[in-house]
Amino acid sequence: MSEDIIAEIKRDYIYSLANQGDRADGRKFDEFRPISVEVGIINKAEGSSRVMIGQSQVVVGIKVQPGEPFPDTPDTGVIITNLELVPLASPSFETGPPREDAIELARVVDRGVRESGAIDLSKLCIESGQKVWMVFIDVHVLDHDGNLMDAASLGAIAALMNTTMPNSRYGFGEDTKLPLKDIPAGITGVKIGNTIMLDPSLDEENVASCKLTVITNKEGALAGMQKSGVGTLTPDEVKYIVHIAKDKANVLREKLEGIQ
Amino acid sequence: MTKPEKLIVDGKRLDGRGPLDLRPIKFKAGVLKRADGSCYLEFGGNKVMAAVYGPREVHPRHLQNSSRAIVRYRYNMAAFSVEDRKRPGPDRRSIEISKVSREALECVVLEELYPRSAVDIFVEILQADAGTRAAGINAASVALADAGIPMRCLVSACAVGKVDDTIVLDLNKDEDNYGQADLPIAMTQFGEVSLCQMDGHMTEEEFGTAVDMAIEGCKKLHEMQKQALVEKYGEMVSAAPEEAEARSDGGETSE
Amino acid sequence: MEREIVIPGDMLGEDPKLSGSGTYVQDGKVYSANYGLVDRRSTIKVIPLSGRYIPARGDLVIGKIVDMTFSNWFADINSPYEGMLHISEFPERVDPANMSKYLHMGELIIARVADVDPTMKVELTMRDEHLRILKQGRVIDISHVKIPRVIGRNGSMISMLKKDLNVSIFVGQNGRIWLKGDDKKVDLAIRTIFKIEREAHTSGLTDSIKAYISKELEELRNEK
Repeated sequence: MSEDIIAEIKRDYIYSLANQGDRADGRKFDEFRPISVEVGIINKAEGSSRVMIGQSQVVVGIKVQPGEPFPDTPDTGVIITNLELVPLASPSFETGPPREDAIELARVVDRGVRESGAIDLSKLCIESGQKVWMVFIDVHVLDHDGNLMDAASLGAIAALMNTTMPNSRYGFGEDTKLPLKDIPAGITGVKIGNTIMLDPSLDEENVASCKLTVITNKEGALAGMQKSGVGTLTPDEVKYIVHIAKDKANVLREKLEGIQ
Repeated sequence: MTKPEKLIVDGKRLDGRGPLDLRPIKFKAGVLKRADGSCYLEFGGNKVMAAVYGPREVHPRHLQNSSRAIVRYRYNMAAFSVEDRKRPGPDRRSIEISKVSREALECVVLEELYPRSAVDIFVEILQADAGTRAAGINAASVALADAGIPMRCLVSACAVGKVDDTIVLDLNKDEDNYGQADLPIAMTQFGEVSLCQMDGHMTEEEFGTAVDMAIEGCKKLHEMQKQALVEKYGEMVSAAPEEAEARSDGGETSE
Repeated sequence: MEREIVIPGDMLGEDPKLSGSGTYVQDGKVYSANYGLVDRRSTIKVIPLSGRYIPARGDLVIGKIVDMTFSNWFADINSPYEGMLHISEFPERVDPANMSKYLHMGELIIARVADVDPTMKVELTMRDEHLRILKQGRVIDISHVKIPRVIGRNGSMISMLKKDLNVSIFVGQNGRIWLKGDDKKVDLAIRTIFKIEREAHTSGLTDSIKAYISKELEELRNEK
C-alpha cells in the first residue's frame, strides 16, 4: 500500500537530520512527546485509562472476572493481554483477527506486567484449584502516530492502578483495589543510521532500521525487552538503550502519580 | 441486578427523565489525527468513537464498482465496554448491526461522485449503555460530514421503547433489559426512515406513537450534530480566494 | 466577507437554476451536499472544508512513485485514485526493460494530469516545461482544500512566502508542497504553511502571516 512506501527525500531528510543531532520536530534524541494519562473513563471496566503520547492514543480497559485456574497453578490468578489495532486508528490497519504486529505489541505489554511481578497473582485465588480471578488487559488503539508500544504499556499499568476487584458483585465481600507490587514502564528507541532516538514519531518509526523496547521495574531492573524490525543493533547500542531507558522510565512513572 | 418493580413512577422514569427526554448527549467532531473524518459521542452512558476513511482505494480490488463508491461500515464493541468482557472480534450481532447501520447511511451518500473507491466507516463502542447502534449512526453521520463526504443530508437515530405499557424515548440499560419493546429508528433530515428494527410487543397504535416520538428525538439529535460541525470551525469564517483563480496559479515552479 | 458554514441537507435557495458545485436540487429547492462554506456570489456554491483530492485535467500535482508494470509507473497523488505515467509521457526516451533507471519507487515527481476518464482512470504526463523529478528538498502534505489559501489571490500569499523567506516552493493542487532552501528557513516556511492551513478561514490572514514571518525571522537573526 502506498502508505508504506516512504518518499525517498523524506527518508533522506530524517537521516541527515539525525547525523546533525536533530529531529524533524525539534526534540532531543532522548525526549518524549507530551504525555497525558487519564484513568477511570470506562465505567463498565473494573479499571481503565486513556494515554496519549504525542497524537498516538490508546484506551485500556481491565476486566476482572472469576474463572478456572491453569491446572499446573491451581492457586494463582490469570493475566490475559490483548491488543486491537482497530482500523479507525490508521489507514494501514485492516479489519480481521490480530495480525503479527498487534500480537507482538500485546505480548510485550503482557511480558512487562507479568515479569515485573506487578500483579501479585498469588493474592488472586478464590478457591484453590477451582476458582481464581482472571485479569483481562485489553488495549484498544485509537490513533497511530508512532510508538504505540510505550503508549500501550503505560496505559496498561495506569489502568491496573485504577482497578477495583469486583468482590461485591460475586458475593466475596467488599470491593478492594487490585493488589499491585510494581510499576513496570516501557521505553522504546529506534535506530536511524547510527543514531538512537527515543519515542519515535510515525515517520521516524517508518524509516528506522529497527526498534528496541526496554521495560524496567521500579527498582530499575529489567523486566522485558523486545527488538523489532529487520535492522541490527550493536551490543553497545543495546546497552545504551537499556541505560537511558532506566532513567526515562521515571519520567513516565511521574505521570502515574496520584492515580487511584 | 433484579428487575425493578416499576420502571415508571408518577410519570417519571427511574433516572428522573420524562417519557420524551433524551439522555445527556455530547458530540465532538474531528478528534482523530489519522482518519479523514471522526466524531466522539457520549450518549447517556455510551461512549462511541466513529471514524471515516475515504473516498479511498478499494482493497481487495474485485470489490470495487466502476460507477460508484462502495460504502462499508464496521460496528465493533471493545472487550471492556460491557459488564461481562466481550471476546474481541465480530460476532453475529455486530455483523447484523454493521449491515443495517450501513444501509441507514448509504441512502444519503452521493456515491456516484466517486467511482472505484470506498468510503469506510468504523464505529468503536468504548462503553456501552443501551442504544449503541443509534449512537454509532449518529456519530458516523458527523464523521462522514467531517471527512468531506458529499451527502444529501445527515442521518440521526434513536431508540424508542415500551416500559410499563408506556412508550418512552431513548431507553437506558434497565429499560432495555426489563422493558416490553425496543425500537431503534434512524431517519434522514427529510423524514425518510433509513433504519427500523423492533423486538418485543407493541400494538399498532403504540407503534404509531413510537414513530412520532422517534421523529421528535431525531430532530433534536440533528440539531446537536449540526452544532458539533459548526463549532469545529468556531466563529472564524471569512472569504477564501476563488477556486478558479487558485487552480491556474497552482503551477508556479519558478525558483 | 462573512461566509456561512453549512452542512449537507441545509436548504440554500429556491431557484434550481442557481445550483452550483457542492449543491444539489430536490423538489425545486437547492440544498448543500457538503460540509463547507456557502458562496452566493453568482451561482450558489458550497466550498468544502475537508475532503480528499480528486484529480482534474490540467492540475499540477506532486506524485510519489509506488508501483510499476511494463511501460507504466504508478504514482500516489494523495487521492483515492492513483496516477498512471506511461513511459511515452516521460521527458526522455525510456528503455522499457529498465524503467527503474529513469524513475524508481519512492521518487517524487511534478506532473500534470493529462486526462481523467469517467471511471477515474488518471493519466499523468511529464512532457512539459517545469515538470520534473524532485531531487532533494522536503515535501509536506496538507489538506488540498487549503491550497487556494496557501496560493492566495493572484498568488499573493505564495509569492510573499518565497520572497520573505527566500526558499523555493512548489505547491501541488493535490495538497502536496515541495520546498528547498536553507534548513531553518524551510522549517519556518513549513511552520507557516501549517499555520495557514489551521487558520485558513480567518480574515486578515495575509497580514497576520506576514507579521508572523517577520517576527520569526527576527528571532532567527537574534539567535545567530
